Amino acid sequence: MLSYSLRRLLIGVGMLLALSVLIFVLLRLTPGDPIDAYIDPNVPMSPSDLAELRVTLGLDQPLPLQYLAWLQQASMGNLGYSIQRPDQPVLGLVLSRVGPTVLLMGTAIAISIIAGIATGMISAVRRNSVADFSFSVLAVTGISSPPFLSALVGLYLFSVYFHWLPSGGMLTPGREFSVGDLLHHLILPAMLLAIAQTALIMRYMRASMLEVLNQDYVRTARSKGVYEFWVITKHALRNALLPVITLIGSTIGLAIGGAIFIESVFNWPGMGLLMVNAVENRDYPVIMGSTLVIGACVIAVNLLTDLAYAVVDPRIKVG
Amino acid sequence: MNRLSRLSSAIALAAMMATTAVPAFTAPAQAATLSGGFDVGPGGFQGNFNPLAATGGFTWLSVYFEPLVTYDEKLQKVTGVLASSYEVSPDQLTYTFKLTDAKWHDGKPFTAKDAKFTMELAKNAKTGSVLAARLSAVASVEAKDDKTLVIKLSGPSASLMDTLTKVMMLPEHALSQIAPDQIAKNSWWSTSPIGTGPFKFTKYVTDQYVELAANTDYRGGKPALERIINRYFANPAAAIAALRAGEIQFTYVDSNDLTAFKNNKDFRIIEGDSFVVNYLGFNHDSPIWKDIKVRQAVMYAINRDAIIQSLYGGAAKPANCAYVADQIVPKGIETYAYNPEKAKQLLKEAGWDQINGNKPITLLTYYTTPLAANVMAAVQAMLAQVGINVTPRAVDTPTYNSIVLNPTPDTAQFQMVYAGLQNGPDPGSINVGLNEKQIPPAGPNVARVRMPQLTAALDAALGETDAAKRDLRYQDVCKVMNSQLPWGPLWVANRYGIASSKLKNFVWTPAPGGGPYQAYPEKWAIAE
Repeated sequence: MLSYSLRRLLIGVGMLLALSVLIFVLLRLTPGDPIDAYIDPNVPMSPSDLAELRVTLGLDQPLPLQYLAWLQQASMGNLGYSIQRPDQPVLGLVLSRVGPTVLLMGTAIAISIIAGIATGMISAVRRNSVADFSFSVLAVTGISSPPFLSALVGLYLFSVYFHWLPSGGMLTPGREFSVGDLLHHLILPAMLLAIAQTALIMRYMRASMLEVLNQDYVRTARSKGVYEFWVITKHALRNALLPVITLIGSTIGLAIGGAIFIESVFNWPGMGLLMVNAVENRDYPVIMGSTLVIGACVIAVNLLTDLAYAVVDPRIKVG
Repeated sequence: MNRLSRLSSAIALAAMMATTAVPAFTAPAQAATLSGGFDVGPGGFQGNFNPLAATGGFTWLSVYFEPLVTYDEKLQKVTGVLASSYEVSPDQLTYTFKLTDAKWHDGKPFTAKDAKFTMELAKNAKTGSVLAARLSAVASVEAKDDKTLVIKLSGPSASLMDTLTKVMMLPEHALSQIAPDQIAKNSWWSTSPIGTGPFKFTKYVTDQYVELAANTDYRGGKPALERIINRYFANPAAAIAALRAGEIQFTYVDSNDLTAFKNNKDFRIIEGDSFVVNYLGFNHDSPIWKDIKVRQAVMYAINRDAIIQSLYGGAAKPANCAYVADQIVPKGIETYAYNPEKAKQLLKEAGWDQINGNKPITLLTYYTTPLAANVMAAVQAMLAQVGINVTPRAVDTPTYNSIVLNPTPDTAQFQMVYAGLQNGPDPGSINVGLNEKQIPPAGPNVARVRMPQLTAALDAALGETDAAKRDLRYQDVCKVMNSQLPWGPLWVANRYGIASSKLKNFVWTPAPGGGPYQAYPEKWAIAE
C-alpha cells in the first residue's frame, strides 16, 4: 500500500508539472495581458504610462524564460505576487481561499452524500411507493437544473423575496465572528451546490441498491431470519455503496466547477471567486498558483478514493 | 425499515432546524453603520487600495484619503480640500497652494512636506503611478514652509488641476522608508493605510469588504456615522440582490435595472451625467471609411432618438461631437437627424458597392452589458437597412485593449468600434482618443484618427490657459468633429445609483473613475 501510494504521488507531481506548462501556454494564448486589463477604455490613459510596468513585471521576456523563472520560484514555495493586487503574495491569497472553498464544498458534499444515500435507499427499499416517485421526480429536476438557474432562483427566493438568508458573503461585515453567522451564510450556497450531486448520488444509490437487494445472499440473509434493518444496512448497503463511492470521487472535480459558479453568485471568498477575478484581470501568477493548488487537490482526492475502495471492499487490494 | 425512515426523517428535521435555528441577520450590522457597494459599476475599482495605481475607485478612496483639490459634486468647479486656497502666477507656470490644518489618522500633522513627497511619488513611474505621464509638465515641487506648497511647471497646463484632484495625499512618515519601486508591493495599502479623511481604515477582509471607522478628530467635525463598509460584489446584479435584501444601503445600478426601484418609497434613485461619450469609432487605417460621405451615411442611418427612447428610457443626450455640454457645443452644427434615404444616397455617391459592398464589417466593443448588446443589435439592423453590413463582437476589456492598442493591429479585427471616452469634467480628456500624436503605442487614439485640422484644434484648446477662452477653443474642436466625423458620435448617457431612503445627506454622483468629488462623508447619516 505504501509503495503504491508513493508511486501514485510521484505520478501526481509529474501531472502537476504538465498542468502548469499547459496553463502557462494557454494563458499566453489568451488575448490581452494584465496591463491590458488595467486600462479602463473609458478613462483616458496613455499605454506608454504602463510600458514600464510591463517591463517590471517581466512580461517582455520570452515565454520559456518566463516559465522557467516562475517554476524556479514556485519550486521554492514562492508563487510570486498578484499583479492586480501587487501588495498581496499569491501563496497567501490562495491559502486564505482554501478554507472557505473546503468549507463550502465539504458541506455541500456532506449534504449530498447523506441526502443522496438516504433518499436512494428509501427509494430502492420502497420501490414504486409515493416516496420513491417523489424522490425520483426531485432527482430528475435536480439533475436537469443547471447551476446558474438553481443558484439564481435560490438567491431570489430565499434572500431577495423572503429575506431569510443573506444574499452573499461569508460573514456579516462589521460583526464579530460567530459560528451561527457563518452557518447562516453557508447554508444557501451549500444546499444549491449540493442539489445536482445529491440527485446524481440518489439515482446511482437507488439503482445499485435494487440490484443488490435481488442478490442471493440478501435472500439467504432474509431466510435466516435476520431483521430487515440489518439486511439493508449491513448486507445490502455496504455492497451497494461501491459504485457510489466511485461516483462521488469522480464528481469532486465537477463539484469544483460548480463551486466556482456558486462562489461568484454568492460572493463566497473561495478559490472559485479568486480564479474568476484573476481570469478577468489576466492575473497570471494568481491563475497559475490557484490552478496548481486545485490540481493537487483533485489528484489527492482521486488517490484517496482509490484507497477508500480497499477499506470498503476487502476483496480489492492495492499495491 | 421503519427505523430507517425514522432515521432519514430525523436527519431531514435536524437539517431544517439547523437552518431555522439561526436568526435572520438581514438588518444592518449596527446602527450608524452604512454598508454600500461603493466600488460597483464602471467607476469602481475593487481590490485596489493604492491611489497612485488607481484608474478608478475614487469615490471610496476619497472617504479616507484626501487630495489637495477636488471637484464640486456637480463636477463643474475645482475646489480646495487639503489646500485652503491656491494662486496661479500670471505666466501660468507657478501654482502656490496654502494648506489647511489637517492631521493624519495617527495624529501627526499634515504638512507641505507630505504634499511634496506625494507629488514626487506620483510623478515617478517606478512607483507604478498611473499619474506619472499626466504630471510630466511638473518641473519642481517645493515645500516653502509647513503650510505652503509651490508647484512649478515647464509649460502651461490646462489639465493640471484636473490631474491634481486624483493625487491623494500620502504620509511621508509612513512611506518614506520604502523604496519607490517596492511601494506598490507593500502591504501597508491594504492593512494599515492612513489618510486625512473623515473615516479611518480599520480592516479589509479579502474580496469581501473594507471597513472604515469614524475619524472623531476630523477637522470638519465628528462624522455622523460610526462606520462605513464597502462590500465587494462580482457584478451589479449581485449588489442589487443585496440592496433589495436590505443588506446594503447603496449601490450603482445599470440603467436597465432601474424599473424595480421606480415608485418605490424605500429607495431613492440618484441620476447623474456619466461624462462618457459613446461613439462608433471608424478605424481610419481601413480604406472603407476614407470617403466622408460613407461616414456621414453611418450617422444618418442610425436613429439615435429611437435608441435613446427605447433602450436608455430617454436618459441620454444625443451627441453630435464629443460634447453635449451647452457651453462647448457651438450653435448651428449638423444634427445628423435620422434619414435613411439620405444615407443610401450618400453611399451611392461614394460608390459603396465598390468600396465594400455587402462584406461584413467587424464592430468591436468591450461593453458586455445586456444594454450594450441591445444597442449593438439596433445599430446593426439600422445600418443593414442602408446596405452597411456590420457584425457586432463583444469581448472582455483585456482582449479589447490587446486588439486596439496593438502598434501593428489587424485592421480586419476592428474596422469599427463601439466605445466610450471620458469627455469631462475636463473637456481635454478626449484629446488622447483623437489627437494624431496619440496613435498607439503613444496613446489610446484607437481609431487611428489622422486629421491635421482636428489635431491643431485640440492642441490649441489644450494650450489655452485663459479659462474664458477655453470653451471657445473646445467649440472649435466640436465643429471640426461635427463636420469631419473622425468618429460617429452617438450619445452621452446618464448613470444611476440607488440609495435607501434611510440614508440622509448622502452625496453621490456617477463620476468617471468614481471622481473624486466633494461628497462630505462626515455628514452622511442613517435613520433608525
